[in-house]
Amino acid sequence: MSQATDEIADIAMTSTEPDSSQNHTHEATSSLSADDASSSNAGTPAGSEGQASRQSNLQRIQQRKQQVFNWPHNKKLLKLAIYSACQTPDCNCNGWKTPVTQHAGKTPRADNQPLASFNDVCRNCNHVLEKHVSQLQGLPVAEVNRLLGAVVDVENIFMSMQREDDHNTKQVYYYLFKILRKCILTRSQPRIEGPLGQPPFERPSIAKAITNFVLYKFNSLPQREWQTMYDLAKMFLHCFNHWNFETPSVRKLQVSNPEDISAYQINYTRWLVFCHVPAFCDSLPHYDTSLVFGRTLLRAVFKSVCRQLMDKCHLERDRMPPEKRVLVLTHFPRFLALLEEEIFSPNSPIWDPDYKQVPPNHLQAMLDNKTSSRRVGEFERVTASGDSKDGFTTVTLSSGSIKQEGVKRAGVSVSGTGGKRRRVCSEGSDDVSQRTVADIVATISDPNYMCGPDALFQTQAPRDEAAKIEEQRKLIEFHVIGNSLTGPVNKQTMLWLIGLHNVFSHQLPEMTKEYISQLVFDPKHKTLALIKEGRPIGGICFRTFHSQGFSEIVFCAVTSNEQVKGYGTHLMNHLKDYHIRNNILHFLTFADEFAIGYFKKQGFSKDIKLPRAMYQGYIKDYEGATLMHCELNPRIVYTQFTSVIRMQKEIVKKLIDMRQKEVRKIYPGLTCFKEGVRSLPPECIPGAREAGWRAPPPPHDPDPDPVTLRNVLHAVKNHATAWPFLKPVDKAEVPDYYDHIKYPMDLRTMGERLKARYYVSKRLFIADMTRIFNNCRLYNSPDTDYYRCANTLEKYFQTKMKEVGLWDK
Amino acid sequence: MPLTADVAAQQVQERLRSLHRLIYDIEAERSRNEQCIDAILRAEKSTGSPSSADDSSGSSQQVSQLKSLYKSGLTAAEQEERLLRAALSRIYEIRAIKNERRIQARHAGNKETIGCGALMKLLLSAAQTLPLHVGRAGERAPPLCGAVPADAGHVARPGDAVAALVRVSDNEDNWILAEVVSWLPAQGKYEVDDIDEEQKNRHVLSKRRVVPLPLMRADPRTDEHALFPKGAVVMALYPQTTCFYRAVVNRLPASAADPYEVLFEDSSYADGYSPPERVAQRYVIAIKEGKGRAT
Repeated sequence: MSQATDEIADIAMTSTEPDSSQNHTHEATSSLSADDASSSNAGTPAGSEGQASRQSNLQRIQQRKQQVFNWPHNKKLLKLAIYSACQTPDCNCNGWKTPVTQHAGKTPRADNQPLASFNDVCRNCNHVLEKHVSQLQGLPVAEVNRLLGAVVDVENIFMSMQREDDHNTKQVYYYLFKILRKCILTRSQPRIEGPLGQPPFERPSIAKAITNFVLYKFNSLPQREWQTMYDLAKMFLHCFNHWNFETPSVRKLQVSNPEDISAYQINYTRWLVFCHVPAFCDSLPHYDTSLVFGRTLLRAVFKSVCRQLMDKCHLERDRMPPEKRVLVLTHFPRFLALLEEEIFSPNSPIWDPDYKQVPPNHLQAMLDNKTSSRRVGEFERVTASGDSKDGFTTVTLSSGSIKQEGVKRAGVSVSGTGGKRRRVCSEGSDDVSQRTVADIVATISDPNYMCGPDALFQTQAPRDEAAKIEEQRKLIEFHVIGNSLTGPVNKQTMLWLIGLHNVFSHQLPEMTKEYISQLVFDPKHKTLALIKEGRPIGGICFRTFHSQGFSEIVFCAVTSNEQVKGYGTHLMNHLKDYHIRNNILHFLTFADEFAIGYFKKQGFSKDIKLPRAMYQGYIKDYEGATLMHCELNPRIVYTQFTSVIRMQKEIVKKLIDMRQKEVRKIYPGLTCFKEGVRSLPPECIPGAREAGWRAPPPPHDPDPDPVTLRNVLHAVKNHATAWPFLKPVDKAEVPDYYDHIKYPMDLRTMGERLKARYYVSKRLFIADMTRIFNNCRLYNSPDTDYYRCANTLEKYFQTKMKEVGLWDK
Repeated sequence: MPLTADVAAQQVQERLRSLHRLIYDIEAERSRNEQCIDAILRAEKSTGSPSSADDSSGSSQQVSQLKSLYKSGLTAAEQEERLLRAALSRIYEIRAIKNERRIQARHAGNKETIGCGALMKLLLSAAQTLPLHVGRAGERAPPLCGAVPADAGHVARPGDAVAALVRVSDNEDNWILAEVVSWLPAQGKYEVDDIDEEQKNRHVLSKRRVVPLPLMRADPRTDEHALFPKGAVVMALYPQTTCFYRAVVNRLPASAADPYEVLFEDSSYADGYSPPERVAQRYVIAIKEGKGRAT
């Protein structure tokens, strides 16, 4: 390092240009700009200071480069001489250095200071400057400029390095500094090689995952809202690309897990080298953070990024245009919350590298034909009832597909749910062709198609089948209605609300009429009404908490003489579809003992997946009732769910039939057993393969990778509670220990056994580790630190094993 | 012999084919009948015209011709009636086969529990397809047709639908819809199954706690006497349930296919009665005084 400092000092001395990047520091320079998001409703970029200073820094660097490029050729050569090797044979000097006398008087570094001349002698090798640039004479201007650009970058990196306090970061700067210097010296392109690897470092990239997220979560939204989400995603990615990550040393203060820290350290270095420094040193190849990193980095930084982002939003809100304020303060937190869920969920589809989601219809329509507003494959839509002005209190629900013909509808529903299947098809594997599926669909949609002899006695129709048919024939209708205190409410809505009130108070005798009135006529509550012959015969009264992302189901009833006709199920399905369109994906309800069964059938569970903080203080609490939760899947059209599943089942059945017909063949049978053969591999049985038999995959318990075990052992050793178990118990210290413990074990012994390749199966490894903890708990009493350490460390060990996939449960 | 799904389907197919033929036959017979009637009308007209009155020999000839026309018309009508009854009996046979199949499947142990909604549909269709009593001239509706009670010595057969008074809690009895499993002559008791498979199934009840449901519908145009009069207090199956409750007949069925309109006793309504509900003939029975005070 001493040689390096020497070298650097020299450059600092000879650098005659004022540093132009004084301010490009590590302070947060992210901004909430969505200006590059090609958005329709995002406002102008927020005037963040960080942004401004970063922008101006980058600008200044560019200006500086332009300035240098415009220099006369000789001046350029004089500059490059400092970084170029002396061409005198056998001279090892790799950069011209100003003679000592020249800067004796601590000359101020200014642009107008006269440079050296070609005849000045190098302090280092005593050859004239000209000897350092002879090889540059014939180079094209572009190449000379490229080298000069690198020189500017070298100097900027140097300045950054000088200012950097963090030791690791400083080292990275120094590393880049050396690379750039070498590339000027050898007139080559900078190449970053070594243990950091090459980008992309993880797949799918963060950008891809966020795009997946938008498709996955908001696909069902109407165009305008979808666009909003899309803009938010772009905004988030933009911020992320310009994010300044905290140094690992800062991070160490918050995270205790040594492995997380080392993983972060690697990613941080990669980020510096490939993303951050190249952003202002364009002679280095630059990559967008969101394109080269994946889940690991996002998981590591997401929480702090979000926190800082939101803080920043709040700081800047007064300076934003109002529509942007809504976007940032209302939608962004929810967007981030949903995103967080997916990022930390162990099996979110957004991280599936092959994730393919059919883009939303409106998007597809936009792509297909900008003028067409007709949506293909639309299942459900909400239309404001046209005849009156109460559009905001009454919403009519209709099934968009019902008017289509059976076969066509079937086709739509198959392709609508078959996103995954379609992918397989397009890959040209041995999946059935679209045509075959279409043929099958045509067959099973034929009214003459019989499902077998018991079709005569068929009683097992889906629960909501009858109700759906009635809806198709317009015998029943579904409307979302509600009272309003500020706008006009038409008479029809009022009459229906009164009718619903009667239904609820008859069917729910334990509720007082007054209480029911209070909620049914409350403008915050809405009711999905089931209308038959112009009168409500059932309904679900609910209240949506938009900020909390859930709806509370308050009353749910069907009048007694219309029960067990599937209305309850169909009502709930309509309510689900309605909520998905409004992007509310959670239902909560307090169910009394008679209602629990119903809610279970509708997909509710007593297992509440929503964090308590989301609903506590919002939902009405009922004594003696059970809180139940239902999470909606926005990819399902619930009113079509049973028919889609039935259709799929029928298709699979048909495919099996077809396959059976294809492979049907009678083989003579095996005679080899009579001839004394004891056994033979199944693939030798004629016809077995043709019928689709495949050898089972080899049992999945390969020898554990010693590296993995070593990592686990290492992590366990470094845990804060590992100290009692690091080495064998000393008999001198604990004389009676070995009287009680017959099979001692400790982490050092385990390390030795690992080295000796003793752990040929994970079972042995786990057994030894478990013995350590069991021994400890056997010898010590539960109120000792040792005992507690054993418990804690055991949990930690199990977590580690789960992480590397070596834990079965 | 076990009535498997396949056998049942085959039997039903046979009946359907026979029914198919019968319908053509009926159509042919009907048009023959029409011709007969036309001929009779024409003959009557010419007999009645004064221009031919003086021709006595022609007149007597005409009368005998008319007589023979009447005779053949009568035979044709009887033939048509026979065909219609045959067609109806095919339908009832199909109904019986399906019922038999259902009972067998149930007793075979493979209790593919019928969903609640499916059960309700089954009950409705069973009521709609209940055989219609088409009496011959002057014949009174037989027992268990419409409101006509069973004979004193009547014993319901296995598979017959009944209303059964069962104990549901310590001091509450309910009239439920049930199905006869067997008659135990020694004890004078019925073994019945709750129609709703989700409930406690088997009950052994004395004869007086079991009321057979009608086996035939009465046609209001021919057998009004076999229907409950307006205002009669009856037991009726509450729609979409399997329980009978006290109700008052509000309106009689207008045709053989129509249900009654009844008002259930219900204290949760201000006037003590529910709004009008429609209940099929099969599920309206005479009240047993002093018992089954259900609310």
